Amino acid sequence: MGLSQKISQLREFLEETIKILYYYRSRVVFSFSGVALGILSICVIITTIDGANKKAYEIFEALGPDAIMIFGGTERQRMARERANTLTINDADSLQRIGGIYDVLKIFAVRGVNMKYRDRKWQTQAVGATENYFSSFTWGLQSGSFFSSEEYDNAEAVCVIGATVYEELFKGENAIGKVIQIGKLPAKVVGVLEERGGTVGGPRIDDRVVMPLTTVMSRLSNEKRFLSMIRLKTNRDPDETIEDVKSVLRKNHGIQGAEDDFMTRSSKDILQFVSVISGSLFLFLGTAAVVALVVSGFVLANLFYLTIQERKKDIGIRRAYGATRKGILLSFLFESVFITIIGGIAGVLLSIALQGTFEKLFDIPMVFSFKVVVFSLVFSFLTGVLSGLKPALKASRIEPIEAIRG
Amino acid sequence: MITLQNIKKSYFIGERELPILKGINLEIREGEFVILMGVSGSGKTTLMNIIGLLDKQTEGEFYFMDTYVDGLDDEALASFRNRHIGFVFQQFFLLPYLNAIENVLIPMVYSDKQIKHPRDKAKRLLEKFGLLERIHNRPSQLSGGEQQRVAIARALINDPDLILADEPTGALDSKTGNEIMELFGMLNEDGKTVIVVTHDPKLASFGKRLIRIEDGTISEDITA
Repeated sequence: MGLSQKISQLREFLEETIKILYYYRSRVVFSFSGVALGILSICVIITTIDGANKKAYEIFEALGPDAIMIFGGTERQRMARERANTLTINDADSLQRIGGIYDVLKIFAVRGVNMKYRDRKWQTQAVGATENYFSSFTWGLQSGSFFSSEEYDNAEAVCVIGATVYEELFKGENAIGKVIQIGKLPAKVVGVLEERGGTVGGPRIDDRVVMPLTTVMSRLSNEKRFLSMIRLKTNRDPDETIEDVKSVLRKNHGIQGAEDDFMTRSSKDILQFVSVISGSLFLFLGTAAVVALVVSGFVLANLFYLTIQERKKDIGIRRAYGATRKGILLSFLFESVFITIIGGIAGVLLSIALQGTFEKLFDIPMVFSFKVVVFSLVFSFLTGVLSGLKPALKASRIEPIEAIRG
Repeated sequence: MITLQNIKKSYFIGERELPILKGINLEIREGEFVILMGVSGSGKTTLMNIIGLLDKQTEGEFYFMDTYVDGLDDEALASFRNRHIGFVFQQFFLLPYLNAIENVLIPMVYSDKQIKHPRDKAKRLLEKFGLLERIHNRPSQLSGGEQQRVAIARALINDPDLILADEPTGALDSKTGNEIMELFGMLNEDGKTVIVVTHDPKLASFGKRLIRIEDGTISEDITA
């Protein structure tokens, strides 16, 4: 038999399959949408987990693998979102003396500060920080400069503003040298930070003004002792350093055996946190996906089983006209796989279309890759084969005479 | 073309043997137009199924086109049916999701015969049967007589050696039925071997040879 004849037979067969599916469309729609939903969930799982990992990696990179953060307050207070200032400048100075620590960043932040430039108003946090803030976070400028040691030492009213604040108060105009009102303090803008974007370190990373710690403590609020956060960098093992940090702070705070009134966080903790999130996401969506696929598989199998009863004569006539058992088996399996593959493709497309919505819902970016498509198609294929096998076997066992007799 | 030697067929209901065909000896030569007549339960349909390679006899030998077909497996039988037999049934059995011309082309999907431009051939056949305007209609849009003519076109598309029709007029009014029988006569004039299985005595006159089946045996075999 010629190749061209084979090809035209294959085309004929494909066209026929499509006509059959169209004819039984009300049944097909059920199985199709079930598979599409299942595959949609699988796509969301894979892309979101990939996205979470990417985000974790970005956070890790941005914070530096060697960074340790220390906050005031107990773990419980932090969970309850209470703020307790227990860390002092003195603590920071003691920590500086721990071996291996090469960078100590002191931060005192004031939240909800009203800012004003001409008639434009904005409310955000004013971060008072030591000069190493920008190098420690490897954060660059889009214009201007960081504040100088002199400005720091003299507690001058200068500020470096984040990209969001810049947009809100200056709308793209030149900001350098302009004076903005921060609370009651008129402060000169010396620099504008480059945009970090939404994913790294919370969605509002760009919404802040950074000022010398000295200025914030003495002129914006009247805080002489406490800090909101200390950030360290160490060239030793972070876990060991954390132990040292804890013992220094316990000594400073006079804690013996009681609960610590401070907390430490390393980049490792953040990675762990993200992996917990993606783990629970996987569990939730994974279950949903499997349920959707199993249910649609059963629906497909049962509806298929029903149609076979209805299509007995169809099968009989095909067998009489030369279809083999194997041919019937394959054509029915093909029908089932065709439905699930098309459903799978729809699921993938749907997940791409809904990407924005899901990203908002989970606050995790989705990363699409070739892997997702392959995975989805393999799953759809398996669903089709598994649910189509029993009905297809039944169809192939129908004897032509029994079918034709009616 | 067809040789049946002492063909017996029984069904078993539990232990009980129910003989349907009790030793049929029959020879059908190329170019014949045979009416196989018998009342319901006479065994005529069983005989037709065996001749059509849709069923197997319990005993006896069956040669089709000088081939001893009893030993053939499912695949070989399917191929044999596809090459040599065109079936026509009482209920037409057109596939509801295909239009007339697509139904005619069904055997081509399973065919390994070299037939050039099968679509044109299907169209010619439908044209010959006065259905040119109907080629894109679904079976549900055709009358009974039209459906049966589509079914006959389907039986012819693969150039079979034998047309095997089981009560082809059973679902039609007598006028349309006669037209269908005349169509078989026409095909026979063109050289096709035709076997029509029926219970209807009025059809006897259309054939060239009448074989009457009674209680599992041939009771009459008249060649006109």
